[in-house]
Amino acid sequence: MDRARVKAQLLVVGGGPAGLTGAIAAAENGVDVLVVDEGLEPGGQLVKQTHKFFGHQGFYASKRGFEIAKILKDKVKNLGIKVMSQTTLVGFYDDCAVAYDRENNRTIEIDYDYVLLATGASERFLIFKNNMLPGVYGAGAVQTLMNQYGVLPGEDFLIVGAGNIGLIVAYQIMQAGGNVRAIVEISDKVGGYEVHANKVKRMGIPILLRHTIVEAIGKGRVKGAVIARVDENYRIIEETKREIVVDTICLAVGLQPSVELANQLKVELVYIPELGGYIPRRDENMRTSASNVFVAGDLAAIEEATSAMAEGYIAGYAIAQDITGKDLSKEMERYREELNDLRRGPFGEKIRKGLRKMGIDVPSGGYREENQKDFGPVGKLRAVIECYQNIPCNPCEAVCPTNAIDTGGNINGIPHINYEKCVGCAMCVMKCPGLAIFMVQEFDEYSVVGIPYEFEPLPEKGQKVILMDRGGKEVGEGVVHRVMVNKKDKTHVVFVAMERGLERTVRHFRLPTREEEKIVCRCEEVTREDVEKAIDMGFTDFEELRRYLRIGMGPCGGRTCRLLAAGILARKLGKSIEEISPMTLRPPSIPLPFSAILRGDEK
Amino acid sequence: MKSYKICIIGGGIIGSSIAYHLAKFGEKNVAVFEKSYISSGSTGRCGGGIRQQWSARMNVRLAMRSVKLFERFKEDTGFDIEYKQGGYLLMAYSEDEAARFEKNVKMQKEEGLEVEILSPKMVKERYPYINTERLVLATFGPTDGHANPHLANFGYIFAAKKLGVDVYTHTEVEDIDVVNKKIMGINTTAGYFKCDVVINAAGGWSGEIGKMAGVDIPTTSYRHQIFVTEALESFFPFMAISFDGNFYMRQTKHGQFIMGMGDPDEKPGINRDVSFRFEREMAEKMVKIFPFLENTRIIRHWAGCYNMSPDAQPIIGCSKDVEGFCYAVGFSGHGFMLAPAVGEALAQKLIFGRPKEVEIDFLDIDRLKGKSFEVEGNVV
Amino acid sequence: MERRIKNHPILDFEEKGYVTIYFEGIPIKAKENETIASALIANGFDIFGFTEKGRPRGFFCAIGKCSSCLVVVDGVPNVRACMTKVRDGMKVERQVGRGKPTWTEPE
Ligand SMILES: Cc1cc2nc3c(=O)[nH]c(=O)nc-3n(C[C@H](O)[C@H](O)[C@H](O)COP(=O)(O)OP(=O)(O)OC[C@H]3O[C@@H](n4cnc5c(N)ncnc54)[C@H](O)[C@@H]3O)c2cc1C
Ligand SMILES: Cc1cc2nc3c(=O)[nH]c(=O)nc-3n(C[C@H](O)[C@H](O)[C@H](O)COP(=O)(O)OP(=O)(O)OC[C@H]3O[C@@H](n4cnc5c(N)ncnc54)[C@H](O)[C@@H]3O)c2cc1C
Ligand code: SF4
Ligand code: SF4
Ligand code: FES
Repeated sequence: MDRARVKAQLLVVGGGPAGLTGAIAAAENGVDVLVVDEGLEPGGQLVKQTHKFFGHQGFYASKRGFEIAKILKDKVKNLGIKVMSQTTLVGFYDDCAVAYDRENNRTIEIDYDYVLLATGASERFLIFKNNMLPGVYGAGAVQTLMNQYGVLPGEDFLIVGAGNIGLIVAYQIMQAGGNVRAIVEISDKVGGYEVHANKVKRMGIPILLRHTIVEAIGKGRVKGAVIARVDENYRIIEETKREIVVDTICLAVGLQPSVELANQLKVELVYIPELGGYIPRRDENMRTSASNVFVAGDLAAIEEATSAMAEGYIAGYAIAQDITGKDLSKEMERYREELNDLRRGPFGEKIRKGLRKMGIDVPSGGYREENQKDFGPVGKLRAVIECYQNIPCNPCEAVCPTNAIDTGGNINGIPHINYEKCVGCAMCVMKCPGLAIFMVQEFDEYSVVGIPYEFEPLPEKGQKVILMDRGGKEVGEGVVHRVMVNKKDKTHVVFVAMERGLERTVRHFRLPTREEEKIVCRCEEVTREDVEKAIDMGFTDFEELRRYLRIGMGPCGGRTCRLLAAGILARKLGKSIEEISPMTLRPPSIPLPFSAILRGDEK
Repeated sequence: MKSYKICIIGGGIIGSSIAYHLAKFGEKNVAVFEKSYISSGSTGRCGGGIRQQWSARMNVRLAMRSVKLFERFKEDTGFDIEYKQGGYLLMAYSEDEAARFEKNVKMQKEEGLEVEILSPKMVKERYPYINTERLVLATFGPTDGHANPHLANFGYIFAAKKLGVDVYTHTEVEDIDVVNKKIMGINTTAGYFKCDVVINAAGGWSGEIGKMAGVDIPTTSYRHQIFVTEALESFFPFMAISFDGNFYMRQTKHGQFIMGMGDPDEKPGINRDVSFRFEREMAEKMVKIFPFLENTRIIRHWAGCYNMSPDAQPIIGCSKDVEGFCYAVGFSGHGFMLAPAVGEALAQKLIFGRPKEVEIDFLDIDRLKGKSFEVEGNVV
Repeated sequence: MERRIKNHPILDFEEKGYVTIYFEGIPIKAKENETIASALIANGFDIFGFTEKGRPRGFFCAIGKCSSCLVVVDGVPNVRACMTKVRDGMKVERQVGRGKPTWTEPE
């Protein structure tokens, strides 16, 4: 039998952002590259990320994860890099590397000179009672189902863990039409970015700090969960146990680097909790203790896609330099600078500490830390920025056409706005990946707030909405004033008119639910709002209004709704009910079966 | 005193379509007069069927043009009128009729219309919920369909208003001012309006309006009854109709079945009362053919009028006796479906001197003077 | 119970072709190109099998790492539902405990 055996100068294991960028950097410099990836398509974690990424333009900031994956895949394709999908690298044996091609159910033997390991990480599991019950799923699994296959595995979710992954998955579940009942977080603070936390808080999702899951309830399938508070030593406080009704429990309790292959390649592993546990020791250029084995991405340290890509490039260049002898130190230097900037801020502290343990120093500080206090000139249409953490992100600064926003010289700086320069275009609102920018304008009688909105359905002008504050508390009703539809990247801006004074409080809204709608006509489910909207459209004749909305066209014959609708019309027009058209009530007055008519001549 | 270039009498689908098309082609000095509310006439009472399978060639052309316009109705007016091209199933219950259908299909195909002939067996296979007993043959036009007539009426009126047309509802035209065989204006319950052209689109009242201008319009109105059932799940996409069987039926977007038939004993005149005999006869006939109706309930029964011309075809054009007096009347049972093409053609005739898309000269009133004429057979 | 996402603010899920697979003999509609796990969850089946001790088992990681999702496909046990694409007519069974051995007889 023919053995499938292939050769490559560089074998890249893992086609996530780290592996793909590594492959690109090497192939651009003439190296012959093979990428092996076990996913249905390459892209790694990126293919299921529907949110916009932080960072700066060079690293696709403000693009959604799956869009970045597409860009990388296109590059890989254009460079003619060979990619094997649905193929797992199962082992580095002493004679060759072996990959298992699932689709064709065959093994492939691979000869290589260099290896870039970019196998990413796998999700951590958590111990609690009944934790194997179907309905307890990893956060990544829920994401894969939702965002790759379009399947939402439940209706009511409990999220365990308030790191970035837990926060983002909660937001994505809401986008897909599910409900997140709570996010429990065992520590006393949210681990993820404040802007991500704010997104879910203002939708009214409680983030319960110092809480954990105790038990999954249900036989055969999750029916609920027991949660409880913990004390300073993370011990459950018995009296605080309580049940919540959920049908899916989503674990977002961290990742662990997938080091199996590294181990087989006999590279030195070190245990550095700050970087994710056991990881391969490596130098500044991502070279491990084996001189032809490089690592990048989450395998090298649980971090982010942006850093994974920078590391991928560095590794790719370093390998190309080895193989071709070209001097690529400038390119490597550029991406090292990039990494330094990504890790400079408070969120990089853990990584800095971990890398120091491996002897790699990363600078910190050197960015603006003070918040902007003032809310801008009352009455002017302007942007207000609520981004108060030093995170490596600056699309707001980059997109503003009048240069009204600046982060103070370093990407980690807190953005400030120059209200004199702001012309109210709302471009920054649509670009900000943290959805942390709002538009505000005060008028004499009312105020308008422009809110970034990424949900279905998009409300229409004139529609009533329920206003929510930063903590998700409902603070009144508003009316949609204008909708800026953002076809391109789908962060729309909905301007909502509200009582003057609320513009400082309101940061989100929701559409009234079916239960909250005020029904006028039960048969055809016509709401009071429908009637008012039709009148505003120009239907002022009662009979026309009825026919337009189908009021009274159902089986009740108009008994329940006719007067209600006439009343609304009368009130709106300032007329009396009698002045509005007389009524015609047609037979039969109750629904009359054909069968009864047919039986009418039986004696 | 207010004045307009053109005054349209009647805010039904015909008057509205003419108004919209006039404004669309640039004539915005137009007013519509409606004695009651928009869609109060036959339009608001009709079945909403849109069919291109006619026996007279020109009607096929006219209807095909209308379908083109229905297809872009939403684009043109911004109104979603629940338009659905679910087809029309014409059912023949006699050999005679079957032979006529076959001839018609040949002509319809020549005109480029998609139609197929179905044997009773094929009908049964496709639509197992129909009882095909006694059925001789059927034809099916997949691009035929139906829409909500109220919404279409409102769609044209709102779009016309947006383009600058004035609409007077609850304003009855009481007299037409004609001096020296020339239109001068109209007298209404809201006062006198000067104008150069009057268009008679008064449906069932078209004869009276003719008299006001001193023009004989040979139309007669007859009551036509119709009723609707409570809603079922959507499964019946097409309009079923039979001429010798004398019925039609469709399911609306909202799931209700709407159906009716003609009554040969109906006396002329405007009568909007309804008779139980109609429900009885319909029940007997329809439950046999559509057995699923048996346990369905009728919820509303009403009547409108067919404005009939001697050959069952509309009368469209401008009078040669009174300058400035035009008409689009006598639509019997198909004014709704023809309205888009008729409105467009008449507007073009008035503005550009002649229609651009379809011929309407054959529908001029002169065809009915004296000689014999071809009667459209495909009517209920 | 259908759990497919109908409207999504960011993503478009193509209404591509469907195939039929059988889960415990019940025909279910699966999208071409999706995995068995996705099809089962979409159709409301959360229990993919039972452990040897009789504990119900669903999937967990969805990326082939945890082996929680083992099912029997066309008689072949231990197939990871999250990594295997559906095929028209495929027969999927809950795996109870360890799978029975299967083989093809040489001709
Ligand atoms: C919910 C969530 C939200 C996130 N949001 C952000 C964000 O906003 N911004 C940001 O910068 N980062 C974000 N991240 C982090 C980011 O996605 C990861 O840091 C990044 O994807 C790591 O890239 P990688 O290439 O190292 O690994 P991965 O993307 O995990 O790719 C690893 C690839 O290797 C393949 N593989 C593994 N083992 C084998 C094998 N043996 N054989 C063959 N193939 C194998 C896998 O199939 C996979 O395709 C987020 C992560 C999650 C889970
Ligand atoms: C039961 C039934 C079923 C039908 N089914 C279908 C079908 O399925 N498909 C189809 O195409 N057609 C059908 N028709 C026919 C269709 O309804 C008519 O041909 C069409 O509506 C005629 O439109 P119109 O604008 O000419 O008349 P109308 O809608 O009757 O409008 C004429 C308007 O003129 C107004 N008016 C009259 N006199 C005056 C005056 N002096 N001053 C001011 N205003 C005045 C009236 O109030 C009225 O609103 C059906 C008709 C009926 C009755
Ligand atoms: S609204 Fe426009 S002008 Fe103002 S800060 Fe944002 S991007 Fe700049
Ligand atoms: S405000 Fe600017 S820096 Fe803050 S998250 Fe938004 S785009 Fe990034
Ligand atoms: S769900 Fe984890 S391997 Fe399939």
